[in-house]
Amino acid sequence: MTATLAFGPPATSPGRATFTALAIRETRRLVLNPVFLFAVAFITFALWAGPDAGQTEIDTANPYPAIFLGGFGMMATYWLTRSMRASEPVVGVTPITLPARTAALCAVAIVPFGYGCLALIAFLHFHSASDPAYGAFSPSARIAVVAGQIVVPALGGPLLGVALGRWVRFPGAALVLFLVLWSWVSLVTVVAGSHPDSAPVAVLRLFAGFTFFALHSDAGGVTAWRGSPWFFIGWQLALCAIAVLVALLRGAEGRVRTRIIRALGIAGVAALILLVLAAAGGFTHPVTA
Amino acid sequence: MTGTVLRAGAWPAVAGISGAAVVVGGFGAAFPAAATMLLPVCFTLLAAAAAFTLDEPASLVVDVTPTGPVRRTQIRAVALLAPLAAGALVLLATAARGLALPWGATGLALAGNVLLGFTAACVARTRTGEPGATTGTAVVLVLVTPGLVPHVARWVRTFPAPGAGGPSSDTVWWTVLAVCAVAIAVSLGGRNLPPWMSTVPISRRRRSYPTVQPP
Repeated sequence: MTATLAFGPPATSPGRATFTALAIRETRRLVLNPVFLFAVAFITFALWAGPDAGQTEIDTANPYPAIFLGGFGMMATYWLTRSMRASEPVVGVTPITLPARTAALCAVAIVPFGYGCLALIAFLHFHSASDPAYGAFSPSARIAVVAGQIVVPALGGPLLGVALGRWVRFPGAALVLFLVLWSWVSLVTVVAGSHPDSAPVAVLRLFAGFTFFALHSDAGGVTAWRGSPWFFIGWQLALCAIAVLVALLRGAEGRVRTRIIRALGIAGVAALILLVLAAAGGFTHPVTA
Repeated sequence: MTGTVLRAGAWPAVAGISGAAVVVGGFGAAFPAAATMLLPVCFTLLAAAAAFTLDEPASLVVDVTPTGPVRRTQIRAVALLAPLAAGALVLLATAARGLALPWGATGLALAGNVLLGFTAACVARTRTGEPGATTGTAVVLVLVTPGLVPHVARWVRTFPAPGAGGPSSDTVWWTVLAVCAVAIAVSLGGRNLPPWMSTVPISRRRRSYPTVQPP
Protein backbone atom coordinates (compact mmCIF):
# COMPACT_ATOMS: atom_id res chain seq x y z
CA MET A 1 0.00 0.00 0.00
CA THR A 2 1.39 3.38 -0.90
CA ALA A 3 0.41 6.79 0.30
CA THR A 4 1.02 9.96 -1.62
CA LEU A 5 1.47 13.19 0.28
CA ALA A 6 0.82 16.32 -1.72
CA PHE A 7 2.43 19.49 -0.42
CA GLY A 8 0.73 22.68 -1.45
CA PRO A 9 1.20 26.26 -0.39
CA PRO A 10 -0.49 27.02 2.92
CA ALA A 11 -3.52 29.26 2.85
CA THR A 12 -1.59 31.94 4.71
CA SER A 13 2.14 32.02 5.26
CA PRO A 14 3.17 31.93 8.92
CA GLY A 15 5.17 35.13 8.54
CA ARG A 16 2.18 37.05 7.26
CA ALA A 17 -0.08 35.66 9.97
CA THR A 18 2.42 36.68 12.66
CA PHE A 19 2.77 40.12 11.14
CA THR A 20 -1.01 40.57 11.05
CA ALA A 21 -1.35 39.48 14.67
CA LEU A 22 1.43 41.85 15.73
CA ALA A 23 -0.04 44.72 13.73
CA ILE A 24 -3.47 44.21 15.30
CA ARG A 25 -1.93 44.13 18.77
CA GLU A 26 0.06 47.31 18.19
CA THR A 27 -2.98 49.02 16.69
CA ARG A 28 -4.98 48.17 19.79
CA ARG A 29 -2.22 49.68 21.94
CA LEU A 30 -2.23 52.87 19.85
CA VAL A 31 -5.98 53.45 20.01
CA LEU A 32 -5.80 53.10 23.80
CA ASN A 33 -2.88 55.54 24.14
CA PRO A 34 -4.03 58.60 26.16
CA VAL A 35 -2.20 61.10 23.95
CA PHE A 36 -3.76 59.64 20.80
CA LEU A 37 -7.19 59.52 22.44
CA PHE A 38 -6.84 63.20 23.39
CA ALA A 39 -5.87 64.03 19.81
CA VAL A 40 -8.84 62.17 18.33
CA ALA A 41 -11.21 63.70 20.88
CA PHE A 42 -10.04 67.20 20.02
CA ILE A 43 -10.28 66.63 16.26
CA THR A 44 -13.77 65.21 16.67
CA PHE A 45 -14.77 68.23 18.76
CA ALA A 46 -13.24 70.68 16.27
CA LEU A 47 -15.00 69.04 13.33
CA TRP A 48 -18.27 68.78 15.22
CA ALA A 49 -18.10 72.47 16.20
CA GLY A 50 -17.53 73.47 12.57
CA PRO A 51 -15.76 76.59 11.33
CA ASP A 52 -15.93 79.91 13.14
CA ALA A 53 -18.35 82.45 11.72
CA GLY A 54 -16.75 84.87 9.29
CA GLN A 55 -13.77 82.65 8.48
CA THR A 56 -12.08 84.08 5.38
CA GLU A 57 -9.29 81.54 4.82
CA ILE A 58 -8.86 77.82 5.25
CA ASP A 59 -5.61 78.14 7.19
CA THR A 60 -7.43 78.94 10.43
CA ALA A 61 -8.72 75.37 10.70
CA ASN A 62 -6.62 73.04 8.58
CA PRO A 63 -3.49 72.80 10.81
CA TYR A 64 -5.45 70.99 13.56
CA PRO A 65 -5.41 67.50 12.00
CA ALA A 66 -1.69 67.91 11.22
CA ILE A 67 -0.94 69.00 14.80
CA PHE A 68 -3.15 66.49 16.57
CA LEU A 69 -3.14 63.42 14.32
CA GLY A 70 0.38 64.04 12.98
CA GLY A 71 2.18 65.70 15.91
CA PHE A 72 0.44 63.99 18.80
CA GLY A 73 0.30 60.78 16.75
CA MET A 74 4.09 61.00 16.48
CA MET A 75 4.39 61.25 20.27
CA ALA A 76 2.02 58.30 20.71
CA THR A 77 3.87 56.00 18.30
CA TYR A 78 7.20 57.09 19.77
CA TRP A 79 6.03 55.91 23.19
CA LEU A 80 4.58 52.78 21.63
CA THR A 81 7.95 51.96 20.08
CA ARG A 82 9.97 52.86 23.17
CA SER A 83 7.70 50.92 25.51
CA MET A 84 9.10 47.68 24.05
CA ARG A 85 12.68 48.56 25.01
CA ALA A 86 12.32 47.27 28.56
CA SER A 87 11.08 43.90 27.33
CA GLU A 88 13.68 43.63 24.57
CA PRO A 89 15.68 40.85 26.32
CA VAL A 90 12.54 38.69 26.29
CA VAL A 91 11.07 39.75 22.95
CA GLY A 92 14.48 39.60 21.29
CA VAL A 93 14.69 35.82 21.57
CA THR A 94 11.39 35.20 19.77
CA PRO A 95 11.67 34.00 16.15
CA ILE A 96 10.37 37.35 14.85
CA THR A 97 13.01 39.76 13.60
CA LEU A 98 13.24 43.37 14.74
CA PRO A 99 12.40 44.72 11.24
CA ALA A 100 9.24 42.58 11.22
CA ARG A 101 8.20 44.04 14.57
CA THR A 102 9.03 47.52 13.30
CA ALA A 103 6.90 46.90 10.22
CA ALA A 104 4.00 45.93 12.49
CA LEU A 105 4.48 49.19 14.40
CA CYS A 106 4.50 51.14 11.13
CA ALA A 107 1.22 49.48 10.19
CA VAL A 108 -0.55 51.28 13.06
CA ALA A 109 -0.22 54.53 11.08
CA ILE A 110 -3.24 53.30 9.11
CA VAL A 111 -5.44 54.37 12.05
CA PRO A 112 -4.46 58.08 12.14
CA PHE A 113 -4.40 58.01 8.33
CA GLY A 114 -8.02 56.79 8.35
CA TYR A 115 -8.94 59.54 10.81
CA GLY A 116 -7.17 62.01 8.50
CA CYS A 117 -9.31 60.84 5.58
CA LEU A 118 -12.45 61.31 7.66
CA ALA A 119 -11.22 64.75 8.75
CA LEU A 120 -10.66 65.66 5.08
CA ILE A 121 -14.20 64.63 4.18
CA ALA A 122 -15.58 66.68 7.09
CA PHE A 123 -13.37 69.64 6.15
CA LEU A 124 -14.62 69.54 2.55
CA HIS A 125 -18.17 69.38 3.88
CA PHE A 126 -17.66 72.74 5.64
CA HIS A 127 -15.32 74.26 3.02
CA SER A 128 -16.29 72.98 -0.41
CA ALA A 129 -13.62 73.15 -3.13
CA SER A 130 -15.44 76.06 -4.74
CA ASP A 131 -15.04 78.20 -1.61
CA PRO A 132 -13.09 81.44 -2.29
CA ALA A 133 -11.25 80.86 1.02
CA TYR A 134 -8.86 78.56 -0.89
CA GLY A 135 -7.48 81.40 -3.03
CA ALA A 136 -6.67 81.27 -6.73
CA PHE A 137 -5.90 77.53 -6.95
CA SER A 138 -7.66 75.29 -9.46
CA PRO A 139 -10.28 72.87 -8.07
CA SER A 140 -7.90 69.88 -8.26
CA ALA A 141 -5.07 71.88 -6.66
CA ARG A 142 -7.43 72.85 -3.82
CA ILE A 143 -8.03 69.19 -3.07
CA ALA A 144 -4.27 68.62 -3.16
CA VAL A 145 -3.70 71.51 -0.74
CA VAL A 146 -6.05 70.14 1.91
CA ALA A 147 -4.99 66.52 1.34
CA GLY A 148 -1.36 67.56 1.90
CA GLN A 149 -2.33 69.50 5.01
CA ILE A 150 -4.74 67.03 6.59
CA VAL A 151 -4.29 63.45 5.36
CA VAL A 152 -0.57 63.00 4.65
CA PRO A 153 0.70 64.55 7.93
CA ALA A 154 -1.66 62.18 9.77
CA LEU A 155 0.22 59.32 8.09
CA GLY A 156 3.73 60.78 8.26
CA GLY A 157 3.73 61.91 11.90
CA PRO A 158 3.15 58.43 13.37
CA LEU A 159 5.70 56.90 10.97
CA LEU A 160 8.24 59.50 12.08
CA GLY A 161 7.48 58.58 15.70
CA VAL A 162 8.29 54.91 15.01
CA ALA A 163 11.58 55.82 13.30
CA LEU A 164 12.49 58.13 16.15
CA GLY A 165 11.62 55.50 18.74
CA ARG A 166 13.80 52.92 17.02
CA TRP A 167 16.90 55.14 16.86
CA VAL A 168 16.75 57.71 19.66
CA ARG A 169 16.98 56.69 23.30
CA PHE A 170 16.19 60.06 24.87
CA PRO A 171 12.65 59.78 26.30
CA GLY A 172 11.71 63.39 25.54
CA ALA A 173 12.78 63.26 21.89
CA ALA A 174 9.26 63.20 20.44
CA LEU A 175 8.00 66.25 22.33
CA VAL A 176 11.16 68.21 21.50
CA LEU A 177 10.87 67.29 17.81
CA PHE A 178 7.17 68.22 17.84
CA LEU A 179 7.95 71.70 19.19
CA VAL A 180 10.93 72.16 16.86
CA LEU A 181 8.86 71.20 13.80
CA TRP A 182 6.08 73.51 14.95
CA SER A 183 8.59 76.34 15.36
CA TRP A 184 10.05 75.67 11.92
CA VAL A 185 6.64 75.79 10.19
CA SER A 186 5.74 78.99 12.11
CA LEU A 187 9.05 80.62 11.23
CA VAL A 188 9.02 79.81 7.50
CA THR A 189 5.37 80.85 7.25
CA VAL A 190 6.18 84.26 8.73
CA VAL A 191 9.23 84.64 6.50
CA ALA A 192 7.23 83.55 3.44
CA GLY A 193 4.62 86.16 4.30
CA SER A 194 7.23 88.91 4.20
CA HIS A 195 9.10 87.50 1.13
CA PRO A 196 6.37 85.94 -0.99
CA ASP A 197 8.31 86.30 -4.26
CA SER A 198 11.52 84.64 -3.11
CA ALA A 199 12.27 81.19 -4.56
CA PRO A 200 14.70 80.15 -1.77
CA VAL A 201 12.11 81.10 0.84
CA ALA A 202 9.55 79.00 -1.05
CA VAL A 203 11.95 76.03 -0.89
CA LEU A 204 12.41 76.59 2.85
CA ARG A 205 8.63 76.81 3.32
CA LEU A 206 8.12 73.52 1.49
CA PHE A 207 11.01 71.86 3.35
CA ALA A 208 8.66 70.51 6.03
CA GLY A 209 6.03 67.86 6.50
CA PHE A 210 3.34 70.52 6.57
CA THR A 211 3.05 73.89 4.90
CA PHE A 212 0.57 76.62 4.19
CA PHE A 213 -0.23 77.45 0.57
CA ALA A 214 -2.36 80.54 1.05
CA LEU A 215 -2.76 83.38 3.50
CA HIS A 216 -5.43 85.97 4.09
CA SER A 217 -4.29 89.23 2.51
CA ASP A 218 -4.47 92.44 4.53
CA ALA A 219 -5.65 94.21 1.39
CA GLY A 220 -8.56 91.76 1.12
CA GLY A 221 -8.89 88.35 -0.51
CA VAL A 222 -6.60 85.38 -0.17
CA THR A 223 -3.02 85.27 -1.47
CA ALA A 224 -1.97 81.94 -2.98
CA TRP A 225 1.76 81.33 -2.56
CA ARG A 226 4.33 79.77 -4.85
CA GLY A 227 4.61 76.00 -5.09
CA SER A 228 2.81 73.00 -6.51
CA PRO A 229 0.47 71.26 -4.03
CA TRP A 230 0.54 67.99 -6.02
CA PHE A 231 4.34 67.73 -6.02
CA PHE A 232 4.31 68.69 -2.34
CA ILE A 233 2.20 65.59 -1.65
CA GLY A 234 4.82 63.58 -3.54
CA TRP A 235 7.55 65.08 -1.33
CA GLN A 236 5.53 64.26 1.79
CA LEU A 237 5.01 60.66 0.67
CA ALA A 238 8.73 60.35 -0.05
CA LEU A 239 9.39 61.54 3.53
CA CYS A 240 6.96 58.88 4.77
CA ALA A 241 8.87 56.22 2.82
CA ILE A 242 12.16 57.48 4.26
CA ALA A 243 10.73 57.31 7.80
CA VAL A 244 9.61 53.71 7.27
CA LEU A 245 12.95 52.68 5.78
CA VAL A 246 14.95 54.38 8.55
CA ALA A 247 12.80 52.58 11.12
CA LEU A 248 13.25 49.23 9.37
CA LEU A 249 17.00 49.72 9.14
CA ARG A 250 17.32 49.23 12.89
CA GLY A 251 18.20 45.59 13.48
CA ALA A 252 18.24 44.67 9.78
CA GLU A 253 21.06 42.37 8.77
CA GLY A 254 22.61 40.91 5.65
CA ARG A 255 20.76 41.21 2.37
CA VAL A 256 17.75 42.95 3.94
CA ARG A 257 19.97 45.71 5.26
CA THR A 258 21.60 46.19 1.85
CA ARG A 259 18.17 46.41 0.20
CA ILE A 260 16.91 48.93 2.76
CA ILE A 261 19.97 51.13 2.33
CA ARG A 262 19.57 50.99 -1.46
CA ALA A 263 15.88 51.86 -1.15
CA LEU A 264 16.78 54.72 1.20
CA GLY A 265 19.09 56.17 -1.43
CA ILE A 266 16.37 55.97 -4.08
CA ALA A 267 13.78 57.50 -1.74
CA GLY A 268 16.21 60.28 -0.82
CA VAL A 269 16.84 61.19 -4.45
CA ALA A 270 13.11 61.02 -5.22
CA ALA A 271 12.37 63.29 -2.24
CA LEU A 272 14.92 65.83 -3.43
CA ILE A 273 13.53 65.86 -6.97
CA LEU A 274 9.96 66.20 -5.70
CA LEU A 275 10.95 69.07 -3.40
CA VAL A 276 12.52 70.93 -6.33
CA LEU A 277 9.45 70.24 -8.49
CA ALA A 278 7.15 71.38 -5.67
CA ALA A 279 9.07 74.65 -5.36
CA ALA A 280 9.34 75.21 -9.11
CA GLY A 281 5.77 74.21 -9.97
CA GLY A 282 2.46 75.94 -9.31
CA PHE A 283 2.30 79.72 -9.33
CA THR A 284 5.63 81.40 -10.04
CA HIS A 285 4.46 84.50 -8.14
CA PRO A 286 1.93 84.97 -5.37
CA VAL A 287 -1.57 85.53 -6.70
CA THR A 288 -4.26 87.32 -4.72
CA ALA A 289 -7.87 86.48 -5.52
CA MET B 1 26.98 65.26 48.84
CA THR B 2 25.82 68.21 46.74
CA GLY B 3 28.28 67.39 43.99
CA THR B 4 27.27 63.73 43.94
CA VAL B 5 23.55 64.47 43.74
CA LEU B 6 24.10 67.06 41.03
CA ARG B 7 26.40 64.81 39.04
CA ALA B 8 23.72 62.12 38.87
CA GLY B 9 21.19 64.52 37.34
CA ALA B 10 19.80 64.15 33.84
CA TRP B 11 22.10 66.86 32.53
CA PRO B 12 22.12 65.74 28.89
CA ALA B 13 18.32 65.99 28.80
CA VAL B 14 18.16 69.34 30.63
CA ALA B 15 21.00 70.87 28.64
CA GLY B 16 19.81 69.40 25.33
CA ILE B 17 16.25 70.68 25.63
CA SER B 18 17.49 74.04 26.93
CA GLY B 19 19.80 74.20 23.91
CA ALA B 20 16.89 73.48 21.56
CA ALA B 21 14.95 76.24 23.33
CA VAL B 22 17.82 78.68 22.78
CA VAL B 23 17.84 77.84 19.06
CA VAL B 24 14.07 78.34 18.76
CA GLY B 25 14.18 81.53 20.84
CA GLY B 26 17.19 82.73 18.87
CA PHE B 27 15.18 82.48 15.66
CA GLY B 28 12.44 84.43 17.43
CA ALA B 29 14.95 87.17 18.21
CA ALA B 30 16.39 87.09 14.69
CA PHE B 31 12.96 87.32 13.05
CA PRO B 32 10.93 89.78 15.14
CA ALA B 33 7.75 89.09 13.16
CA ALA B 34 7.86 85.49 14.40
CA ALA B 35 8.88 86.35 17.97
CA THR B 36 5.41 86.13 19.48
CA MET B 37 5.05 82.62 18.01
CA LEU B 38 8.52 81.30 18.76
CA LEU B 39 9.11 82.70 22.26
CA PRO B 40 6.13 80.80 23.75
CA VAL B 41 7.48 77.61 22.13
CA CYS B 42 10.92 78.42 23.57
CA PHE B 43 9.41 78.83 27.05
CA THR B 44 7.46 75.58 26.62
CA LEU B 45 10.72 73.78 25.81
CA LEU B 46 12.27 75.29 28.94
CA ALA B 47 9.33 73.98 30.99
CA ALA B 48 9.99 70.53 29.50
CA ALA B 49 13.69 70.87 30.39
CA ALA B 50 12.74 71.71 33.99
CA ALA B 51 10.60 68.57 34.12
CA PHE B 52 13.75 66.46 33.65
CA THR B 53 15.69 67.99 36.55
CA LEU B 54 14.49 65.42 39.10
CA ASP B 55 15.05 62.30 36.98
CA GLU B 56 16.87 59.70 39.03
CA PRO B 57 17.63 56.42 37.21
CA ALA B 58 18.96 54.88 40.43
CA SER B 59 15.91 55.93 42.46
CA LEU B 60 15.43 52.47 43.98
CA VAL B 61 18.78 52.90 45.71
CA VAL B 62 18.82 56.66 46.21
CA ASP B 63 15.35 56.86 47.75
CA VAL B 64 16.29 54.70 50.72
CA THR B 65 19.42 56.64 51.60
CA PRO B 66 19.32 58.90 54.68
CA THR B 67 19.26 62.03 52.51
CA GLY B 68 15.62 63.06 52.49
CA PRO B 69 13.54 64.18 49.52
CA VAL B 70 13.61 67.82 50.63
CA ARG B 71 17.39 67.96 50.63
CA ARG B 72 17.68 66.06 47.36
CA THR B 73 15.12 68.30 45.67
CA GLN B 74 16.86 71.42 46.99
CA ILE B 75 20.12 70.27 45.46
CA ARG B 76 18.54 69.22 42.18
CA ALA B 77 16.75 72.58 41.97
CA VAL B 78 20.15 74.05 41.15
CA ALA B 79 19.73 72.45 37.72
CA LEU B 80 16.86 74.89 37.08
CA LEU B 81 19.54 77.50 36.53
CA ALA B 82 20.14 75.93 33.10
CA PRO B 83 16.66 76.57 31.64
CA LEU B 84 16.41 79.92 33.46
CA ALA B 85 19.78 81.03 32.08
CA ALA B 86 18.80 79.86 28.60
CA GLY B 87 15.56 81.85 28.83
CA ALA B 88 17.39 84.92 30.10
CA LEU B 89 19.83 84.63 27.20
CA VAL B 90 16.97 84.52 24.70
CA LEU B 91 15.29 87.52 26.32
CA LEU B 92 18.57 89.46 26.25
CA ALA B 93 19.00 88.67 22.56
CA THR B 94 15.41 89.72 21.90
CA ALA B 95 15.93 92.98 23.78
CA ALA B 96 19.18 93.61 21.89
CA ARG B 97 17.23 93.30 18.64
CA GLY B 98 14.95 96.10 19.82
CA LEU B 99 11.72 94.15 20.25
CA ALA B 100 9.14 95.96 22.37
CA LEU B 101 7.89 93.29 24.75
CA PRO B 102 6.50 93.85 28.26
CA TRP B 103 9.66 92.60 29.92
CA GLY B 104 8.28 92.18 33.43
CA ALA B 105 5.39 90.05 32.23
CA THR B 106 7.68 88.12 29.88
CA GLY B 107 10.11 87.36 32.71
CA LEU B 108 7.20 86.24 34.86
CA ALA B 109 6.03 83.95 32.06
CA LEU B 110 9.53 82.47 31.82
CA ALA B 111 9.71 81.83 35.57
CA GLY B 112 6.18 80.44 35.56
CA ASN B 113 6.89 78.01 32.72
CA VAL B 114 10.06 76.70 34.36
CA LEU B 115 8.42 76.39 37.77
CA LEU B 116 5.41 74.60 36.27
CA GLY B 117 7.68 71.96 34.72
CA PHE B 118 9.62 71.58 37.97
CA THR B 119 6.46 71.30 40.05
CA ALA B 120 5.03 68.62 37.78
CA ALA B 121 8.30 66.72 38.19
CA CYS B 122 8.18 67.14 42.00
CA VAL B 123 4.66 65.76 42.18
CA ALA B 124 5.38 62.85 39.84
CA ARG B 125 8.69 62.10 41.59
CA THR B 126 6.75 60.83 44.59
CA ARG B 127 5.48 58.04 42.32
CA THR B 128 8.26 57.33 39.87
CA GLY B 129 12.02 57.68 39.71
CA GLU B 130 12.16 59.23 36.24
CA PRO B 131 9.20 61.57 35.83
CA GLY B 132 10.79 63.72 33.10
CA ALA B 133 9.34 62.18 29.94
CA THR B 134 5.78 61.83 31.19
CA THR B 135 5.53 65.14 33.01
CA GLY B 136 7.43 66.94 30.26
CA THR B 137 4.90 65.72 27.70
CA ALA B 138 1.97 66.59 29.97
CA VAL B 139 3.33 70.09 30.63
CA VAL B 140 3.95 70.65 26.92
CA LEU B 141 0.40 69.56 26.09
CA VAL B 142 -0.99 71.92 28.72
CA LEU B 143 1.15 74.86 27.60
CA VAL B 144 0.50 74.49 23.87
CA THR B 145 -3.26 74.13 24.31
CA PRO B 146 -4.00 77.91 24.51
CA GLY B 147 -2.08 78.35 21.26
CA LEU B 148 -4.01 75.59 19.54
CA VAL B 149 -7.54 75.81 20.85
CA PRO B 150 -9.24 79.15 20.17
CA HIS B 151 -11.87 78.45 22.84
CA VAL B 152 -9.13 78.22 25.49
CA ALA B 153 -7.15 81.14 24.05
CA ARG B 154 -10.09 83.44 24.70
CA TRP B 155 -9.77 82.79 28.44
CA VAL B 156 -6.14 81.91 29.04
CA ARG B 157 -3.04 83.63 27.72
CA THR B 158 0.34 82.17 28.57
CA PHE B 159 2.49 84.73 26.78
CA PRO B 160 2.18 88.52 27.06
CA ALA B 161 2.04 89.28 23.34
CA PRO B 162 1.71 93.04 22.81
CA GLY B 163 -1.60 94.12 21.37
CA ALA B 164 -3.37 90.81 21.99
CA GLY B 165 -6.79 90.97 23.59
CA GLY B 166 -8.18 88.85 26.38
CA PRO B 167 -7.06 88.51 29.98
CA SER B 168 -3.52 89.33 31.08
CA SER B 169 -1.00 86.50 31.21
CA ASP B 170 0.21 87.88 34.57
CA THR B 171 -2.97 86.65 36.25
CA VAL B 172 -2.38 83.16 34.88
CA TRP B 173 1.26 83.03 35.95
CA TRP B 174 0.79 84.48 39.45
CA THR B 175 -1.91 81.86 39.99
CA VAL B 176 0.37 79.15 38.62
CA LEU B 177 3.22 80.29 40.88
CA ALA B 178 1.00 80.14 43.96
CA VAL B 179 -0.37 76.71 43.06
CA CYS B 180 3.14 75.45 42.29
CA ALA B 181 4.44 76.61 45.68
CA VAL B 182 1.68 74.68 47.44
CA ALA B 183 2.13 71.60 45.25
CA ILE B 184 5.88 71.50 45.87
CA ALA B 185 5.37 71.87 49.61
CA VAL B 186 2.78 69.08 49.67
CA SER B 187 4.82 66.72 47.49
CA LEU B 188 7.97 67.23 49.56
CA GLY B 189 6.05 66.98 52.81
CA GLY B 190 5.39 63.33 52.08
CA ARG B 191 1.62 63.57 52.08
CA ASN B 192 -0.18 60.94 50.06
CA LEU B 193 -1.18 62.01 46.61
CA PRO B 194 -4.73 61.55 45.37
CA PRO B 195 -5.51 57.90 44.66
CA TRP B 196 -6.38 58.56 41.02
CA MET B 197 -2.74 59.19 40.23
CA SER B 198 -0.87 56.30 38.65
CA THR B 199 1.08 54.13 41.02
CA VAL B 200 4.40 53.28 39.49
CA PRO B 201 6.38 51.62 42.29
CA ILE B 202 8.52 54.05 44.17
CA SER B 203 10.23 53.57 47.40
CA ARG B 204 10.40 57.04 48.89
CA ARG B 205 7.86 56.23 51.53
CA ARG B 206 9.14 52.71 51.91
CA ARG B 207 11.74 52.81 54.57
CA SER B 208 12.71 49.15 54.58
CA TYR B 209 12.53 46.24 52.22
CA PRO B 210 11.32 42.80 53.22
CA THR B 211 14.17 40.43 53.72
CA VAL B 212 14.27 36.74 52.98
CA GLN B 213 15.29 34.76 56.00
CA PRO B 214 17.57 31.77 55.38
CA PRO B 215 15.91 28.44 56.16
